[in-house]
Amino acid sequence: MSALRNTLAALALLMGGATAHAEGADQADRITRGQYQAVLGDCMACHTRPGGAPFAGGAPLETPFGRLVPPNITQDPETGIGNWNEADFTRMMRTGIGHGGRRLYPAMPYPAYSMMTDQDIADLWAYMATVQPVRNAVVANQLPFPFNIRLAMWGWNLLNFRPEPFRADPAQSAEWNRGAYLVQGPGHCGSCHTPKNIMGADDTGQALRGASLQGWFAPDITGNSQTGIGGWSQEELVTYLRTGVNTHSVASGPMREAVENSTSRMSDADLRAIAVYLRSLNGTAPPAPQPLAATEPRMQAGGAIYAANCAACHGGEGRGARQLFPALAGNPLLRQANPETLVHLVLAGSQGAQTPGAPTTPAMPSLGWRLNDQQVADVLTYVRNSWGNAAPPVAPHEVAKQRDGEPEKPWALVIGGVVLVCLLVLATALLMRRRRRRHAVA
Amino acid sequence: MLSPPNGSGSRRELLASVTAISLAAGAHAAAARSYSGALPFRTYSADPPRPVLPGAWLFFTQDEAVAVEAMVDRLIPADDLSVGGKEAGCAVFIDRQLAGPYGNSSRLYTRGPFAQGLPTQGYQGEANPAQRYRAGLAAIDSWLKREKNRPFAALPAEEQDAFLTGLDKNEITLPQGGAGFFNLLLQNTMEGFFSDPVYGGNRGMASWRMLGFPGTRYDYRDWVSRHNQRYPQPPVSIMGAAEWSPRAGAAR
Repeated sequence: MSALRNTLAALALLMGGATAHAEGADQADRITRGQYQAVLGDCMACHTRPGGAPFAGGAPLETPFGRLVPPNITQDPETGIGNWNEADFTRMMRTGIGHGGRRLYPAMPYPAYSMMTDQDIADLWAYMATVQPVRNAVVANQLPFPFNIRLAMWGWNLLNFRPEPFRADPAQSAEWNRGAYLVQGPGHCGSCHTPKNIMGADDTGQALRGASLQGWFAPDITGNSQTGIGGWSQEELVTYLRTGVNTHSVASGPMREAVENSTSRMSDADLRAIAVYLRSLNGTAPPAPQPLAATEPRMQAGGAIYAANCAACHGGEGRGARQLFPALAGNPLLRQANPETLVHLVLAGSQGAQTPGAPTTPAMPSLGWRLNDQQVADVLTYVRNSWGNAAPPVAPHEVAKQRDGEPEKPWALVIGGVVLVCLLVLATALLMRRRRRRHAVA
Repeated sequence: MLSPPNGSGSRRELLASVTAISLAAGAHAAAARSYSGALPFRTYSADPPRPVLPGAWLFFTQDEAVAVEAMVDRLIPADDLSVGGKEAGCAVFIDRQLAGPYGNSSRLYTRGPFAQGLPTQGYQGEANPAQRYRAGLAAIDSWLKREKNRPFAALPAEEQDAFLTGLDKNEITLPQGGAGFFNLLLQNTMEGFFSDPVYGGNRGMASWRMLGFPGTRYDYRDWVSRHNQRYPQPPVSIMGAAEWSPRAGAAR
């Protein structure tokens, strides 16, 4: 980052005299700050394909409504955002309306980005304007009807989105407020970790309590001691965000990418602020369920499967091995109501995040070939109800669903879409009637 | 012989590929790649063996199968320690092996010259195991029909033992060499009895239970310091154990 800054400053110095120097250094600072904003916002995660050119378009997102492909946001004028100006960019970040009035889908987390300060958005644009143009045409909208009508997002915004700047809580410390800003704003943690309502918008009453996406369950990250990170110390949480691994857990799935591209590159001060804020969120959670009796057939089978397949790394008593194999005893990830992530890990295997602080990337092998659906369900039921854990049992059909790789088609969401279209039609009709009336009066 | 049927590489293959890679690397230094970042990893990656399925004989004729089943039951007779070789599936194991790459020696160098090797060098002949079984069983059958007027399976147990002992001590000679075939059969029977049930023998992990061998477990840290205590876990096959599916009730 500082290399970039020095180069830019040197360039400015070469190009002009003393005044230009001051201006150039200022611009260099802005670009450097903007690059950090891109890290905070983790633009890379969606807008870069694995192995692809930075920001030249990402891998498809399988949303419950259909497929969206994150577009090319390099400075290429035809296939990227090279013909955008700063005003276009600011409006997009604040309102979800892009260049030429095109409405973005909220898979782009503009409801979160809209909280960013003017300064941060301006800095981010200064950086984005320096991104190497790459020609790569992306068909972003691959949603089926009726979701492919971008205008529908007008109605969606009306119902789900109020563009508001971040409001600091004067009763809290500056560090807490910085953490709240990062989590709610640029870091858009809620995009994955907050449950969605029928229309795919954040259910703000359940903020950060855990949500399902793309075959993974992004766990509760509030300070809840049962399912959240309440049992982690401030330092443990910071270590997890910086390295992707701590005594309790190893980042997997989409969080692995978030750690590699974003949190591991954040400043320690920002990580500490995030930890302070998350740990302070202590929503009332339903009381923990009673663990299943160890004599249950599912628990007996699960115990036998665990001893032969899992205990070698995670330990006979689920204690794991520090920084290498996560402990399962007292691990909140195991206690989430939704076992999707656990099923995914057992069936497919997983590799930890690769960060400067944890470069060895320990991995868990796939066990899908060895365990049938019932056995995967039973071993998960066992670990979810052993060594102090307590969580609902896992059913074989929850495993079968993932093994087939078929994303669930939630009918609620489809019905939600239809309701949305009806609402839109209604709103349009109302508007036209009102206009006609106004005309009549005139 | 214990390698999985779909093969994940013998030592010979490894050596050959290392040589090939070294040569290739030497010839095209520019093609060398350096890796950085995360170690290579793929989700859902696994190379499991294909479990042997029960069913019709794949290599043996019906008569051959009856004879081999009778022979493995004399080599490992049922007693109060374990089931016999037939019930443990040794003949099924041998049948499936002979029908696969072991039977046709597809993973060995099998061209001449075929010199008389030293005893320490093992079998050096031209015939592959499948051919040796076919010829050996035919020779036994014709010898017994000539001398005893009965096939092997129809002999009383004592006469079966006497015949096998005669083969072993080279007192009964076959065109292919009696002791040679006997040793091959004995070797394969033991392999079938003790190898993982996934290959068709060791049914119900009978031999492992007899020995107290825990199977494909690979971590005993919790027991390292527990001296003079019996290891409590039952054996586990590559494809699992009956305890994993108590409700299915089906033991492997």
